[in-house]
Amino acid sequence: MGAAPASRDVISYGMGLAAPLALFFLLFFVAPLLQLFWLSLHNDTAGLHWGLGQYLHFLTDPFSLSVLGSTLLLGAEVTAVCLVLGFPIAWLYQRVGPKLQTIIILIVLLPLLTSVVVRTFAWIVILGRQGIINATLQSLGIIDTPIKLLYTQFGVVIALAQVQMPLMTLPLITALGRIDPNLDDASCSLGAGSWRTFFKIVLPLSLPGVIAGCTLTYAAAITAFITQSLVGGGQMLFMPMYLYQQASTLQNWPFAAAISIIFLLAVLAVVSVFTTLGRMSRGYGGV
Amino acid sequence: MILNRRSLMTTALTLGAMKAFPGLSFAQARPLVFATFTGSWEEAHKAVLVPAFRKANADAAMVLDPMLSVDQIAKVNAAKANPPIDVMLHDPGPALVAIGQDLVEPYPVEKSAYYKDLIGEAQEPMGPAPFFQVVGLTYNPEAVKTPPTSWADLWKPEFKGRVGITNLNSTLGTGWLVEIAKMRGGSEANVDPAFKALEELKPNLAAVAANPGALATLFQQGQIDISPGNFNAIQILKARGVPVEFVAPKEGAIAFKTTIHIVKNSPNRELAFKLIEAALTPEVQTALMNPPYLIVPTNSKVTMGGEIARVLAKDTAELKKKFVFQDWKKINEQRSAWIDRFNREIKI
Repeated sequence: MGAAPASRDVISYGMGLAAPLALFFLLFFVAPLLQLFWLSLHNDTAGLHWGLGQYLHFLTDPFSLSVLGSTLLLGAEVTAVCLVLGFPIAWLYQRVGPKLQTIIILIVLLPLLTSVVVRTFAWIVILGRQGIINATLQSLGIIDTPIKLLYTQFGVVIALAQVQMPLMTLPLITALGRIDPNLDDASCSLGAGSWRTFFKIVLPLSLPGVIAGCTLTYAAAITAFITQSLVGGGQMLFMPMYLYQQASTLQNWPFAAAISIIFLLAVLAVVSVFTTLGRMSRGYGGV
Repeated sequence: MILNRRSLMTTALTLGAMKAFPGLSFAQARPLVFATFTGSWEEAHKAVLVPAFRKANADAAMVLDPMLSVDQIAKVNAAKANPPIDVMLHDPGPALVAIGQDLVEPYPVEKSAYYKDLIGEAQEPMGPAPFFQVVGLTYNPEAVKTPPTSWADLWKPEFKGRVGITNLNSTLGTGWLVEIAKMRGGSEANVDPAFKALEELKPNLAAVAANPGALATLFQQGQIDISPGNFNAIQILKARGVPVEFVAPKEGAIAFKTTIHIVKNSPNRELAFKLIEAALTPEVQTALMNPPYLIVPTNSKVTMGGEIARVLAKDTAELKKKFVFQDWKKINEQRSAWIDRFNREIKI
């Protein structure tokens, strides 16, 4: 019973220490967010007439909704690619020697150490008409004329998947590291094959990492303005570019504010699905 | 918790006082801030305009704070009473927005020694144009053997899948659309013909870039062979060894006035005026016209030379004949509707 007062102490110290950051967030995040919300409740660009016109405009306009839909879909695609490609790397990391581990960590972290702009330009070089992929395919005689990779949905997904990959791999590495390797052996010795062991043991136990990785990757992918616009081009409209267009080029701040709020809510909805899944997976993962 | 009533009151009072007496919150001697554009503009201004200004004004302190027009407007708008910028540089569309939002002061024309020497189109009482930007056709001479001569050449079947354009976010994109409308019988008030023309251009379109800068990359990567392009941007690519050439189409090259403005309520009004004066002098404009900058001058006393004389105009008279100026007041009225339409209709 003596533990209860001690743990209460710990909590109160935590709150006190968190106060500066809380204040910082209040001033520079919550307050601007409220201001944004306030602005979005105006029907005219000067911000004089109150109303829900901006929201109605967005929610009744099939085009705007399609932009939102394609952005959310893009996030899902990127997350899926990252998960499928990132999981084996994380799995491998737990099963190699310390030397190889360092190399893997370095490779995973390397993209984070170069600027997004540089990484994105590299993808333009790779995906371009005379880029590495087209040049290789042409020299192998597989294609006659270059295929269009740049400025396509496919190109955006691939580029974003590489750019955001560390956000998926790192939580996975941590989660897989927490799994007791003996469980694998136990499963095998009890007669389960490697696939069965993976699906029944490894995957469920790594779920917290999967969900954390998916949340991070998803949020980063749908808001990645630079990669989306450089690899996707001017005719592929996603929410960040739509927002930028309304706010910067057209100076239509109330509509831009409404777009932001709707986008924020949509993302929050998706993220809360992830966290709910995460909570449900706690029974498995023991985190 | 540190946040008791007293500290809260102090903070509130301080914030209130700063709001009521904006002078309090800023040191009086802020250096002159000139928001030029990013990239080659910044380089040119750092190398030529700033030294010229310093020399003429006893080494007055000044800083370049490069940013896009729209960001300049947003920043000044956010602090109208105490703007963080003294001198703004604008493309024609944003210039009208800034003037419309009452963010700039009229230029003291009567005090200016150089204003009267400017070409007529550059004499803007709310802020003169020290430079022109010119948009024409850009092409890769290795892939396009006969140089194009007209905007209409973009529609030629031989350029199937080789044409690049930008969307309407940029001045270049919007200006180009208006020019296409004019070519097909439209005007600044009616761009329907241009949208029809874009529909016909679709088979030729290889890329719709998000901004003019991205077009340059597409040339470098061989993604496109021909596009509308900014004269200065092309010169930079050329200097880097990319095979690109610029031609003024026979319909006339689109000329944008890049105007320079004194920000309303600027604490450095006098120095701001001096900086703009420096930008209008024949010396600075000549230096900026020479390589590597190749910025088109607006002072009629500047003798055109080099690449500008070769591909654009030998003198002011020819410049007036070959350049097309557009009515951005009219364009701004409908620009948002056009952008909306472009978003919806142009999918390739």
